[in-house]
Amino acid sequence: MQRLIVWVLFAMLIGSCSQSGKKEGTTTEASQTEQVVKATIQELLAQPADYNGKEVAVSGMVTHVCKHGGQKCFVVADDGETQIRIVPAGDIDEFKIDLEGSTVAFKGTFKVLNPVEAEEHVADHDSKEHHDSEMAHTEAEKADYFIEAVDFKELTQ
Amino acid sequence: MKWRKWNRWIHRELGYLFFGMSIIYGISGIALNHGVARHWNPGIISHSESYNYNHSLTKDNVSRQVIEEILQITGEEKSFKQYYFPYPDDLMIYLKGGHINVHLPTGEISVTKVRNRPVFNEVNYLHYNKPKQLWTWFSDLFALGLVLLAISGLFLVRGKKGITGRGGITTLLGIIIPLIFLAIYLWF
Repeated sequence: MQRLIVWVLFAMLIGSCSQSGKKEGTTTEASQTEQVVKATIQELLAQPADYNGKEVAVSGMVTHVCKHGGQKCFVVADDGETQIRIVPAGDIDEFKIDLEGSTVAFKGTFKVLNPVEAEEHVADHDSKEHHDSEMAHTEAEKADYFIEAVDFKELTQ
Repeated sequence: MKWRKWNRWIHRELGYLFFGMSIIYGISGIALNHGVARHWNPGIISHSESYNYNHSLTKDNVSRQVIEEILQITGEEKSFKQYYFPYPDDLMIYLKGGHINVHLPTGEISVTKVRNRPVFNEVNYLHYNKPKQLWTWFSDLFALGLVLLAISGLFLVRGKKGITGRGGITTLLGIIIPLIFLAIYLWF
């Protein structure tokens, strides 16, 4: 019985490993066939529907990196006010806090949440204790648009 | 019986082999638990110091010279990166390893320095499987080893204190407790 349990667990482990490998391969292939659109943050936010799902490249100063795991950062536009949320994807595990105050070029997919997802996103944001005070990046944090970054490069440090 | 001898051997050898891994995952497990609950940040240490500019400022009169004066007051001349205004009354100066907040109307300066938390930064790096590649396989081996340790541990002791006696009740308790939490927080 004990042997059987161990072998079943081992088989499940191998199965899950091979499945995740296939998913990663598909993502890479998909991103290679897309064309990257260079845009400013203001251009993206002026016509978000036009850019939804497209590969984009933006750059700007990183104003804030989430201290709890680096799972998002915020980039300010040239106007010094408009900000956009960037989340890590692909091979990027997290954004390091050192990025704060650096000008960074990001490449990734611009995404707009549908109304249901957007409502859930805001509810999730508001439910977190550390979000009780309003910050300069709060609007971008709650926004229904964001970039899933697959690559980035620090232009200034 | 011979299988009991093998059982003890597996339990003992896996226990020695995975002692270090158990400590790493145990420490980082506590850290991540409280990190997720936002009780504290296991990855970084930050500390703040206060200064004063002694003059009231406005966004329009913040120049490179003012920035340099603030950097001089705080002793951060060599760490400057960039600055911006998160709000009309607030100036944020980014530093290598932190930032300076200046409330312009009062001239109050707050310097926040941030650095990686030693030990926790390293153990969390491993727990989150950041190295990937070979570490994935070794940590999988550890996870499998934990399963074997748990199963072999059930059959170490015979008699009243073993799995057929008090040990069985304790084992059941350890299974029921997470099920109760799932029932309360997830299922119903």
